[in-house]
Amino acid sequence: MKEFMYTVKDEQGIHARPAGMLAKEAKKYESKITIYKDEKSAEVTRLMALMALGIKCGQEVRVTAEGPDEEAAADGIKAFLEANL
Amino acid sequence: MKDKIFGVLQRVGRSFMLPIAILPVAGLLLGLGGSFTNETMLKTYGLMKIMGPGTVLNLILQVMSAAGNIIFTNLPVIFAMGVAIGMAKKEKEVAALASVISFFIMHASIGALITANGGADAMLEGAVADVCGITSLQMGVFGGIIVGLGVAALHNRFYKIELPQVLSFFGGTRFVPIISGLVYVGVGILMFFVWPVIQSGIYHIGDLVLKSGYAGTWVYGFMERLLIPFGLHHVFYLPFWQTGVGGTLEVAGKTIEGAQNIFFAQLADPSVKHFAVSATRFMSGKFPLMIFGLPGAALAMYKTAKPEKKKAVAGLLLSAALTSMLTGITEPLEFTFLFVAPVLYGIHCVFAGLAYMLMHVFKVGVGMTFSGGLIDMFLFGILQGNEKTNWIWIVIVGVGYFIVYYFLFSFLIKKMDLKTPGRDDVEEVKLYTRADVNARKEGAAANPEDAVSEGILVGLGGKKNISDVDCCATRLRCTVYKPELVQDSILKATGASGVVHKGNGVQIIYGPKVTVIKSNFEDYLETAPDEEIVPQAEEVAVTKEENTTAENETKEVKETIIVSSPITGLAADLSTAPDEGFAGRMMGDGAVVTPENAQIVAPEDGEVVFVFDTKHAIGFLTDSGLSLLLHIGIDTVSLNGEGFQVFVENGQKVKKGEKLMEIDIDFLKAHAPSLCSPVLCTELEDSDKVRLLAEGEIKAGEPLFAIDRY
Repeated sequence: MKEFMYTVKDEQGIHARPAGMLAKEAKKYESKITIYKDEKSAEVTRLMALMALGIKCGQEVRVTAEGPDEEAAADGIKAFLEANL
Repeated sequence: MKDKIFGVLQRVGRSFMLPIAILPVAGLLLGLGGSFTNETMLKTYGLMKIMGPGTVLNLILQVMSAAGNIIFTNLPVIFAMGVAIGMAKKEKEVAALASVISFFIMHASIGALITANGGADAMLEGAVADVCGITSLQMGVFGGIIVGLGVAALHNRFYKIELPQVLSFFGGTRFVPIISGLVYVGVGILMFFVWPVIQSGIYHIGDLVLKSGYAGTWVYGFMERLLIPFGLHHVFYLPFWQTGVGGTLEVAGKTIEGAQNIFFAQLADPSVKHFAVSATRFMSGKFPLMIFGLPGAALAMYKTAKPEKKKAVAGLLLSAALTSMLTGITEPLEFTFLFVAPVLYGIHCVFAGLAYMLMHVFKVGVGMTFSGGLIDMFLFGILQGNEKTNWIWIVIVGVGYFIVYYFLFSFLIKKMDLKTPGRDDVEEVKLYTRADVNARKEGAAANPEDAVSEGILVGLGGKKNISDVDCCATRLRCTVYKPELVQDSILKATGASGVVHKGNGVQIIYGPKVTVIKSNFEDYLETAPDEEIVPQAEEVAVTKEENTTAENETKEVKETIIVSSPITGLAADLSTAPDEGFAGRMMGDGAVVTPENAQIVAPEDGEVVFVFDTKHAIGFLTDSGLSLLLHIGIDTVSLNGEGFQVFVENGQKVKKGEKLMEIDIDFLKAHAPSLCSPVLCTELEDSDKVRLLAEGEIKAGEPLFAIDRY
């Protein structure tokens, strides 16, 4: 399992559009990608759960990737977050 | 074969709805304007001072009459365009242009022949008319229809024609107006010889009418109605109204010729005890038909429309029925069933004849300025008193007509499954699934044109990357969203001699055959998967397409879940959302509603999963297990909650229709890019299909879209 921490820099947090983009990005990988905020977590491909986390600007989240391409998945998602959020 | 003819008629009928929509308005203008500017009428009632010529009121009425009349005068050319647009398969605007050109050419050809053969005076009275400034044969709407149908047939046959390289500038759609114009020179010449023969035949039926009493009156009414679609009724009834064919009578010491002239002469003569029925028998029959019969038919069509279409047809039918009742202008109503259900029109003609005959039998003496609506009935019937007119019989017979028309039309429409407005097969918006897309891909390279189109599509970075396509004399001009996805090498492999980039614009140079390539490419685009083509990135593609043929639905729908609208407003397809992410179905599939009411309610029974802190969107889980996102407005996240008032909290259970939030429509309109609100199902299986159930006005709680599970 690979994991990393990330602090959201986007002013509006993870609202509908970024959540949609993130879920789409996560579907590219076979690995199960999960995002943790405080005690709550959501599978990134589950758009509803992801939006329900209500992640806002400045909050730190933990992202995990588990599966055959976890290395690539973690890197890919990290790059995506940095570029977009 | 029979089915084919029926199918064509149905399409013709449907293509008529566009021009018909203007008729009720034109009818009211003409009816009110025409009735109240008739000088004989004004003199009789002493209204010359208030609204006679020279008064402001008269001027307004004259303008109304002219504005309405111009539509009826030019109905043939309007229908030529309407039919051509409706019947053309693709590139409809070209068919419209070609139909107008052909219409003018046909009538100009006829006109030239009329002049060469001694001018209008050599023809029958009423046989010649001014058609858009051309002195030509009076062919009525029929003249427009033969142009519309013929041009559409030529268009569908030739709009993709490829000509030799030298002439290739004139190929494709540009060839359509050329060939249509040439063909209609021939049609015009033909009509010059054929049409007058038909006209003179009808003229002779007039003799028959005069010699045969009540039966003759029936024939008159029947023929007059039957000839309307062909514009031949003028040749038929004008002699009765205006010449000795309709009888002669001595009124106040003068010999008067023609039914209408006799009536108005008697109207001005105070010594008349009862209006001459021998004259009014050519007029009175219209009253029960137009004030009572046709509105009964309209009610029947409304009642038999599909429930979900009732609202849409109510407007058309109600306004058309009112026009018929008030002014006696019946085309708006008659044309709604004439082409889709000719049998109804046939029955209507029989009853029309009967109406004239009954009026004759009951000695009803009510005349008219030009048609039989309430206005004329009031002025020339009721105001004259029953003593002189027997007008009460119009009402007695009329009530019977209303009932008979209502029940007869209802029965026949249901029994024969006639496709009157609101009953035609729904053209559904369907969505493609991955399976359909793959099937499409496999079959794609089958013919060479598609191979070229496919090459262009890939070279431009997929359908999703294409914003629009057009062409000039030699170049295919496309606009793309991401120029970096364009691959020149692939484009050149499709036969292009060069590719030019300008910002988001891409010009692919093919030479003069480009119009054909463009048409093929547009066809191909319609069914192509809506995806972005980036090296090695395949994605689930959903694309919508109008479903005309039976879908290849080999799998059965296991379950259909209906999602109702949480918003009262205007519903539309999700692809119309002014936001790439939503329109591209990135966040899920569903529909958009543009709110017209501040209340946002629960679409179904379920649970509020979350409300964004910015209050602009709500996550909702229905009891049937669907995850829905109700996103109010576009880019409303940046308003930080202003303009929204939320009444529920995370985890709260709600019933369908319960208030979730209230929005400040004016504030949002002023501060957000759009009020257009996506209502989406965020988690769908690949095999699920979303079907839009409503377009246009929708109330909260009414079905918005359905999800078909396979």
